[in-house]
Amino acid sequence: MILLRLISWQYTRKHLLRSWLTIAGIVLGVAVFVGMHTANQSVLTAFTQTVDRIAGATQLQISAGEAGFEEEILERVQNVPEVRVAVPVIEAVMNPQTKSQANILILAVDMTGDRSLRDYALESGDDSFIEDPLVFLAQPDSIMITREFAAENDLKSNSELTLNSMDGPKKFIVRGIMKSSGLTTAFGGNLAIMDVYAAQKIFGRGRRFDRIDVAVQEGLDPATVQVRLEKVLGSGFQVEPPSSRAKQFESLSSVYGMLANITSLFALFIGMFLIYNSFAIAVTQRRSEIGILRALGATRRQIQILFLAESAVGGLVGAGLGVVLGILIARGIAGSLGQFLGEVYGVAQKAEEVSSDPRLLVGAMVLGVVTSLIAAWIPARNAARVDPVQALQKGRFQLLTAGENRMRRWLAFGLLSFVGVSLAFGHGRLIFYAGYFSAIFAGVLLVPTLGLWLARGLRPILKAIWPVEGTLAADSLIQSPRRTSGAVTALALSVSLIIALGGMTQAAYASIEEWLRVALNPDMYLAPTQNFTDRSFRFPAELAAEVEKIPGVRRIQAVRIVRLPMDGEPVMFVSLDISSVSQEARLPIVSGDGPTMYRQAAAGKGVIISDNFALMHNRKLGDILTLATPSGPLEMPVLGVVVDFSDQKGSILLDRSVFEKHWKDTSANVIRIYLQPGVTVGQMRERIATQTGTRFRYFVFTNEDLRSYILRITDQWFGLTYIQIAVAVLVSILGIVNTLTVSITDRRRELGVLQAVGGLRRQIRGTIWLEAVLIGAIGLILGCGFGAVALYYALETSARDLSGMRLAYGYPFRTVLTLIPIILGSAFLASLAPAEAAVRGSLVEALEYE
Amino acid sequence: MNKLVFILFAGTLLAQDARKIVEESQKLHRSRSQQYEGVLEVYDTKGGKNEKRWQYARIGSYGESKSVLRFLAPPLVKGVALLVQNHPDRASDQWMWTPELNRDRRIALQDRSTRFFGTDFSFEDLEERDVDQSDYTLLGEEALNGQACYKIESVAKKSRTTQYSRVVIWVRKDILLPVQFEMFVKSELVKRLIHKRVEKVQNVWSTLELEMNDLKKKTRTVMKTEKLKYDVALPEEQFTLQALRRGE
Repeated sequence: MILLRLISWQYTRKHLLRSWLTIAGIVLGVAVFVGMHTANQSVLTAFTQTVDRIAGATQLQISAGEAGFEEEILERVQNVPEVRVAVPVIEAVMNPQTKSQANILILAVDMTGDRSLRDYALESGDDSFIEDPLVFLAQPDSIMITREFAAENDLKSNSELTLNSMDGPKKFIVRGIMKSSGLTTAFGGNLAIMDVYAAQKIFGRGRRFDRIDVAVQEGLDPATVQVRLEKVLGSGFQVEPPSSRAKQFESLSSVYGMLANITSLFALFIGMFLIYNSFAIAVTQRRSEIGILRALGATRRQIQILFLAESAVGGLVGAGLGVVLGILIARGIAGSLGQFLGEVYGVAQKAEEVSSDPRLLVGAMVLGVVTSLIAAWIPARNAARVDPVQALQKGRFQLLTAGENRMRRWLAFGLLSFVGVSLAFGHGRLIFYAGYFSAIFAGVLLVPTLGLWLARGLRPILKAIWPVEGTLAADSLIQSPRRTSGAVTALALSVSLIIALGGMTQAAYASIEEWLRVALNPDMYLAPTQNFTDRSFRFPAELAAEVEKIPGVRRIQAVRIVRLPMDGEPVMFVSLDISSVSQEARLPIVSGDGPTMYRQAAAGKGVIISDNFALMHNRKLGDILTLATPSGPLEMPVLGVVVDFSDQKGSILLDRSVFEKHWKDTSANVIRIYLQPGVTVGQMRERIATQTGTRFRYFVFTNEDLRSYILRITDQWFGLTYIQIAVAVLVSILGIVNTLTVSITDRRRELGVLQAVGGLRRQIRGTIWLEAVLIGAIGLILGCGFGAVALYYALETSARDLSGMRLAYGYPFRTVLTLIPIILGSAFLASLAPAEAAVRGSLVEALEYE
Repeated sequence: MNKLVFILFAGTLLAQDARKIVEESQKLHRSRSQQYEGVLEVYDTKGGKNEKRWQYARIGSYGESKSVLRFLAPPLVKGVALLVQNHPDRASDQWMWTPELNRDRRIALQDRSTRFFGTDFSFEDLEERDVDQSDYTLLGEEALNGQACYKIESVAKKSRTTQYSRVVIWVRKDILLPVQFEMFVKSELVKRLIHKRVEKVQNVWSTLELEMNDLKKKTRTVMKTEKLKYDVALPEEQFTLQALRRGE
């Protein structure tokens, strides 16, 4: 502690800017980690709170995935003696025509029994008079809202509220205003209650419910009743406590969580090199100090602990700042992230408040400190090995010894050999990731050597253009590779990350666009909402039948999309007329014989699975899938594997007849329309309106609209990768600034001598600029090379563990072209302040330095 | 109307006398069918009043009767109907018809503790209970409003079929008509039902006005009976779900 205060603190104070720059990597890495996870956590908490609050006294919830089930199930549940209360529920999010324009969560229940489960706490305090329950039930336009929603939208008892229903915009009458309570704070207070039977009509549910909320008889264990209900209802139903809905959402958004981890760990990894670089330099700069300490009796262990303690303190400060910054980031992005995840997964939640998990924050602090300690480990060990006699002598200390370089190269060679073996023979996850990390470490080990070669290679070019500055800049790098190797490594890693992300984005866009072109080729679509992923509303079967008869319609496909549990994970089931699909679309086939696959699937003899489902669920052609339907388990063989990007978690295509028979559901989420030649979308829009009048509510989308919609969602998804790119670039720039700051301090005497012998300020400045640009160029070149490998691993990781989607490898040359000015420009900008510092310093002081 | 309140006869046969009194009372006021128009007045804590009118028809013997209750006013609830099918050995089946939605809904047994459309009655209070569904204990005799009464405690045999732990009934000794009920949940007195106006109609002692007091919420509901007729010729088909849907 005394050494920390007397020695380390004095050094830190003297090099305050550099100290800040050193820990900046940790700050950024921890901030990204905390920010992205806290925002995700907030969305999850908001969803959980909504689930909890609307669950009330519900102990178990019965559902059949998103498909819902027929009304008769309710009576079966109510007849189970262990069940005290069982009430039907329909839940949907709507966009009302109100002042606030905020989405509202509709909880539709049967008020004759639901009050045993939920406390509606009516505003008047006397529901028997002001709010008449009989009128509420008798009039399908009845709605009950929260006090908060009422206040926000100037609504009071008996006010009109317009909501979009399947029959077009429909006026509702506010027949109850709920006081603030647990229930009313669900979904940020934007909650409305309506009668479940009225909701069936409004949301096109037919005679079906979304779920049943259950309270068990007093004194009974809900887990026991759960088992009993599962037995009564069969495998097509899920009987779970309300909390499991949050787990499903967590499972759905797990890809986001993994991306957050990758981004932050990468930022920390890059940050680690900044710390390593700074400490490596600090050890060489402070060699005389170490020598004195050693001469005074300090042991090697004490020296090592001193440096490690410095790094731990730095890591702690950086992680602390990172946590604060992360919470601020989370505040900024929680709302939009919630909206985005809601749009991608069609899940109702409203994240407005940030909720930080103390375990996450402590974990982030530990991560920051540990990263810092790992980064400082080698420099600290080197410091401990300093010989006191040599340390008190002056000389060059930035050189890498030939032995050290050779050892690095051999180690890298060994790792690369392992990478080769892992690629050739390793299909297992462990060996694949071991190969991945070996490749990264091999690259890191080779950076000093490759950097040196590149610096030597670029020296003649620089010399030819700028004889003085170019030579000095190149020589600075050649003579002190240790000083720059950390920054070059950080930069190369950042660039490789950007290349990998850019390549993955490019491949994803190319694949999705191709899929859209060949698989989603109807001329137009009818959807019940403006949001394709929102499955709150459904079309009745009659609409599809009516549309099919309209002159000019060549073919229609009524599509029912539901997310149903499969192997414990929510999987998208797409039911449609497979025979019709086989004639119109050309889904790229991964395995299976096209004509046989389509013929048998159309006959209801099996299912077609998406490539990503096959990969993530380890299924293949010919496997038998057991589908849990409300009518009992249904065994279906896999007839084919196709490329289908309908869902990140994979999709299962089955014929509509199978779905209608086993799920007893004839509704549709989307109606795809193929037009006869010469008929335009505009004409068809008018004909549909004439034919159906105002009986149905629908939105018309052209093929282009859907393409734009999907690409917009893809854009939003890849927007997350832009955060990664920004972090990578920022950390790299910090690395360059840090390196140059160190370089100038380190070469203060040298620069002073240069000025003393007639070197112009302009030349000094130019030397620093060129040195920065050279670091940038070397990092860029190495990064582009590493990126080629990183892209391969990114695509494989995505296919194996993220989305299961196999994307074609394509090197993103456009990304490289974009990166050249960004990196070189950033490097140049990073050098401005250090260059000014170099030329503005006192010449006498500079000559006295050291 | 008097039939309506018999639903509250629930108890255990602990005293033969008590059971006999209840059984005799049910026999005395039994009819093959009945019909009336009722007025419901619901008073809130501030004295505000909400009024609804309905038409009631019932056939069948006590405990296995069928009844239809159809609201006539106010306009917002007009046509809403409730079909109750009582069973001697189990709780009744109840369905509600909402004409605006054009559909019926079954009211589950477990939901019957909830209030009957904002009144101080619960759905359970609309049921008829056969004498054998409860055990009874004669607590003694007590004068109520100057009338000598038997004080009988009734406890349901199957606790799942009722929300009440016990009900104390005052039965007038002279005409064997129940005139007051006190309902308890655990040991707490939660409701009191008072037969305020008792008259003879077609030679049957009948309650023409009763008042249900919710002692926890401090609200009350007054139910008045008009145009009461016994042994009216009512077709059996009128008491089916199909007829309910047709609005008959």
